[in-house]
Parts: sequence; C-alpha cells; structure tokens
Amino acid sequence: MPRLLSTTTALALCLGGTAQAQSAAEVLDNYADIAQANYTDSLTAARSLQDAVTALIDSPSAETMQAARDAWLKARVPYQQTEVFRFGNAIVDDWEGKVNAWPLDEGLIDYVDGAYGGPTDANQLAALNVIANPTFTLSGTEIDASDITPTLLQDTLHEADGIEANVATGYHAIEFLLWGQDLNGHQPGAGNRPWTDYATGEDCTHGHCDRRADYLSAATDLLVSDLEWMAAQWAADGDARTTLTQDETAGLSSILTGMGSLSYGETAGERMRLGLMLNDPEEEHSCFADNTHNDHFYNGVGIRNVYLGEYVRTDGTTVSGPSVSDLVAADNPELDQEMRTRLSHAVLALGRIKTAAEAGFAYDQMLARGDEGGEALIMGGVDGLIAQTRSIERVVSALDLGGISIEGSDSLDNPSAVFQ
Amino acid sequence: MKHLSLLVLGVGLLATPARADIDAALDQHILPGLARFAAAAETLADTAKADCRPKAVRPAYQDAFDAWMPVADLRLGPSETGALSIGFWPDPRGFTQRTLSRLIAETDPVAGDPAAYADVSIAARGFFALDMLLNDPEFSDYGADSYTCTLVATIAADLSRQADALHDDWSGDFAQTLRSAGEANNAAYLTETEAQRAIFTQILSSLEFTADKRLGLPMGEFDRPRPALAEARRSGRSLRNVLLSVAGAHDLAHALAHHDLPRTDAAFAHVQDVAARIEDPTFKDVETPQGRLRVEVLQQAIEDLRQTIVEEIGAPLGIAPGFNAQDGD
Repeated sequence: MPRLLSTTTALALCLGGTAQAQSAAEVLDNYADIAQANYTDSLTAARSLQDAVTALIDSPSAETMQAARDAWLKARVPYQQTEVFRFGNAIVDDWEGKVNAWPLDEGLIDYVDGAYGGPTDANQLAALNVIANPTFTLSGTEIDASDITPTLLQDTLHEADGIEANVATGYHAIEFLLWGQDLNGHQPGAGNRPWTDYATGEDCTHGHCDRRADYLSAATDLLVSDLEWMAAQWAADGDARTTLTQDETAGLSSILTGMGSLSYGETAGERMRLGLMLNDPEEEHSCFADNTHNDHFYNGVGIRNVYLGEYVRTDGTTVSGPSVSDLVAADNPELDQEMRTRLSHAVLALGRIKTAAEAGFAYDQMLARGDEGGEALIMGGVDGLIAQTRSIERVVSALDLGGISIEGSDSLDNPSAVFQ
Repeated sequence: MKHLSLLVLGVGLLATPARADIDAALDQHILPGLARFAAAAETLADTAKADCRPKAVRPAYQDAFDAWMPVADLRLGPSETGALSIGFWPDPRGFTQRTLSRLIAETDPVAGDPAAYADVSIAARGFFALDMLLNDPEFSDYGADSYTCTLVATIAADLSRQADALHDDWSGDFAQTLRSAGEANNAAYLTETEAQRAIFTQILSSLEFTADKRLGLPMGEFDRPRPALAEARRSGRSLRNVLLSVAGAHDLAHALAHHDLPRTDAAFAHVQDVAARIEDPTFKDVETPQGRLRVEVLQQAIEDLRQTIVEEIGAPLGIAPGFNAQDGD
C-alpha cells in the first residue's frame, strides 16, 4: 500500500520556493505545519477578539462595540481557511461543532424579534433566552443558570436536548451577541444590536446587560481555549499530527477528503446552493454580521492552500513546502495543471461574490427570490467548487491511494470501511 | 457531522465494456424511471387542476411519489440541482411549514402563476410542500375556492413542469455526456471509468442517505427518538419511501453491473424481510425499545447491502465511490 513512498521527484516546479524532492512524508509534514500555523493564527486573532470584548464590557460605547465587531471579522479570516482540515481529520470533526456550529436558533441565547416565533416542533428551546432566564427546565430537569459560565454554555446549553440548532458556543454565538438579528430581510444591512445592550445601570437596553456581558465573555473565553487546544494538536507531538503522519497513504487521503468534502457537500451544497434555493435571507453562514461572502471565499482559499502546500499567515509570512501538487505533477503534470486551474477558478468565482458584497450588494440580497444577478454569482461559486471536486477525485485516482477508509467523526455515522 | 470514506479506484481489470454498463444504467433504469415520473406528475397536475381538494388529489399524489422514489436520490447532471426542488427533505428547521404559512398569510399572488412559481423557495415546492398542505391539519382543511387550493394546483403544475424538464435534460444532453465518456470532446468524463464511478457513487450514496436520514433521523438518540422527523410521515409514506429507494438502488446496481449479483440479491432480500417486520409505516414506534430495534435492524441491513454492492460490483470493476453531495455535515 505505501507505494507513494516511491513517488519522489526532482522535477523543477513552478511553485516558487518549493522544495525539490517530495515524498509523501514531507507532504504530510508540510500540511501539518500549515494546519499548526493556521490554527495558531486563529488563536491569536481570537485573543485579540477577547481583548476587544473585555474592553467593550469594561467600558461600553459605540467605539468599543465596533472594535469588537472588527476583531470578530478579522478572526474569521484565518479560521475559515482551517475548515479544509475538517472531514479528513476525525480529531477536527469531533471538535469543530464547539467553535463553528451553524445554523443556530439564536432565541436560545438572547431576545429576538417577535417574527422569530416561539418554541417549534423541532426545537422546544428555540426561544429559551437564557440571558433573561436564570432558571429554566431542560428535559424535565430544573437548570440553575444564575451564573453564566463557560461550563454552563459548553456542558448544558450547547446542543441542548440533542438539537444541533441549539448553538450556545463558538463564532456564530459570539456573532449574534455582537450584531444581533439582521432584521433587514433581503435589503442591505447587517444586525444592528445597540452598544447599550452592554451598558450598565439605567442605560442598559433590552434588560439583563450584566448577564449578556457574562455570556459574551464566557463564549469568547471558550473560543480561545478551544483554539488553544486545537493548535496544540498540530504541534510536534500533537495527536492530530501524529495520527495524520503515521500512515502515509491514509494521510494523503485525509488531505484530499477534506478538500473534496468541504468543496462539494459542505460549501457548494449545504451552505451556498441550499441557501439560494431556499431564498431565505438568514440562510447564510454569517447571517448576523453579513460576512458570508468572506466565509465562502476563505473556504476556497483554504482548499487551495493545502493542495499547493502554502499558507500566508496573518503576519504576512508564508509557510510553504512539499505539496500534493508536487506529487501529482511528478507523474501527471496535466492533471496537476487542471487541478491548479480549477482551484484558481473557484477562488476567483468566490471572489466575485466577495467583490459584489463589499461594493454594497449584500449576500442576503443575492438570495432574494428571482434575483438573477445574485443567483448567477452564487451559482458561479457553486459550479467552481463542484468542478474542482471532480478534479480532486482524479487526483485521488492518480495517486493510487488504494482502498483506504477515513475514520468518521460522528457516532451516528458508521464509518463505512470499504474494501476491508 | 459526517465522515466520508474516500476510496480510490485501483487501476483494475474491467470485467465488461464500461460503455455497455453506462448504456444499461441509462436505458434500463434512469431514463425509463424519469419518464414514469414525468407521466405520473402530469396526472397529478391534471387531477389537481380539476379538483384541488385533498381527497381528490391524494391518490395521484401517492402515485407520483411512488414514481419519483426510484430516481429521487440521483445527484448527477440535471438531478444535481433539479432534485432539490422536487423533494426538499430533510427539513429539520421547518422551512416548509414556515414558507407555506407565509405564502398563505400574505396571499402571495405567485400561487396563481405556475411559471413564476419556479422562483419560489424550494421549501414551498415539490412533494414535501404538497405532503404538508394535503395532510397536515394545520393546512388540509381548505375548501375548493380557497387560496390554499389554488396553491396546491400550482405546486402540482410546477412539479409536473419540473418532471418534464428533468426528463428532457437527462434524455438529451446529459445522457449523451455519459455515453460519450472518454471521447476526445468530453470534458466532463475523461474516461469511461469516470462515468461508471459517477453512477456507482449514486447507488451507494442513496443507500447511505436512506440509512442515515430516512431511518436515522426518526430514530434519533436512544433516549430521544424523533418520530416527527420521519420522511413524508403525514402521508404515511416513510417506510414505503425507504423500500422504494432501496429497490431503486438495487435496480440501478443490476443495470450497471451487467452480471449476476447473488450476494447483492441476498442482501436486498434481507432488507425486504426485516422491513416487513416493521409495524408502523411512519416509524412512530421508534419510541418503544422493540420498535426502535426493528428500525435499527433495517438500518443495518441497508448498510450491509451497501457494503455488499461495494464488494460485488465496485471491486471487480476497479471502481470505488467518489465524493457525494451528502458529504459535509
């Protein structure tokens, strides 16, 4: 099975600065280095967010509120690039629901507009509003939520009642606490939570400002500690790295599984096309902050990063080294060219959505019923991601990885070991 | 959160000419299945046009759903996007209920315009919108002159139009794209094996979807079963949809394989046997330990069938599944 060991090559590649001879082991090491750098950058950005949140809570004002929002937006740039480490690495999949779960029934956390409705058949806790309710009943048990702590969020509230939409932690819970609901429908504009939701004394709006601040603080602390944990898993003796590198064939399969699943089923399917076909303005990944165009774009960049084996860090330096691209190019330069072209096309197509959004045509406007321009933009991204998935399948074939099955992450999913 | 098993084609010996397998999959299963669905959807639209009340529409609705199931899980070519607006499910966040309620509350004029209805949210189109309007007490108590009645006729007309379009798109360009796999001007499938793998992936992902979603969602967790999440439970079709989709996958497997499949046939017979023991066609009894066990046994039988198909068809052809649309979380 480990035939890939022999696929070293001394081909001069057009990848500037790339090492000359590539073995699967070197490719895996470089991929793990990129993961470590990318999660470390995500952690650094989350710590900046934590500082900004502390400043908001200590001295609430329009300025500190805006600074916290800006810090959240910056934190998304490295994190969204890490999503390509999901799907192939079970350790990431088992963890990621804590930090990036979506979509959420935000009424679990705080006040919502009347049109949001109350509890639904699917989720009895959809309008629980824990910030306003120091005690509540969960599956027949009385819960004491008088202190809002990271433990309460993580162990009691998150996915309460087994419902995935009960998202109590992570980026999108924090996003809701910083922006509030986007009540603009298909019109431009994001959520508009007033900074006075964190004011003290009589200035406090919507009540329970101290509990809201406790919630925001606890959720941000959790995000930081969760990212600390994941960055450590990719360090020299970390579990993610050692698992990835212990079997070269399986390791390469992990890389390509992440690329293909994030491209096709997750981003193109679940996040982009489905939202478009539902015409729901809040069926977008960052629906409170209206940052969805960046979510998709940086997913695309992340997929390209791991194929090319290079990642631009948030401090401007680059991590690069032997790549899957090098392995493919050694025996199949045409396929490598096809793969690179399609990755670039997808990033460009996702970039058009970003460009339009930043020029004022918001992602939720693109989702409106019958909006042909928006539909063309989004489907351009979807088509680019699907096309690159077909090339990823060809890469998998060309590398002749043999019958490998990737360990699943969800206990519901019986990992299907094919060709056992 | 979903894992995926990513397998690769080992460059294997091809047991039969790949072209013949692709032709058989199209001519014996996919195209006739889509033609039957288009005919049944037309009957449904005609029926609803004549009388849009639930009692009149339900039988044609059931027939059309029966015709849809054997081809419902294809996510390839025109079905890649087309299937989503015909059967939007699962819907754990209740989009269908919410979207229909809003249309009715606002008496949105789109309900009178089958052509414009193509732009409406997929949550209010296709089988599952009809399932709710025709069978849910919140909606189904409507009269012949009501907005809801017009809406039902329009959804049925839109469904028929979609069925025709899907059949046309498959019969024309896309069938040719699959048949010409490996030819110089075919940019979609560079080799015949790629086209075979694409069809093979459809069989496996259909069985996976049935096990994980059609059965897995109502099963929920042991101490938290969720029978309300069963597919098409309002029309009593949950178990029937499982059986029709598995039969569709089995049929397509035979077409693609081109040789005897004794182990696959045995695994398929086992699925039918254990399904026959299920007492509640909408899986309501997953709330009892015995009921849940029966559904779990069926789920396992479907997973076994999937595994058998991988071994009995995939291995000899040297193909393994590619990415499927349900990868992701």
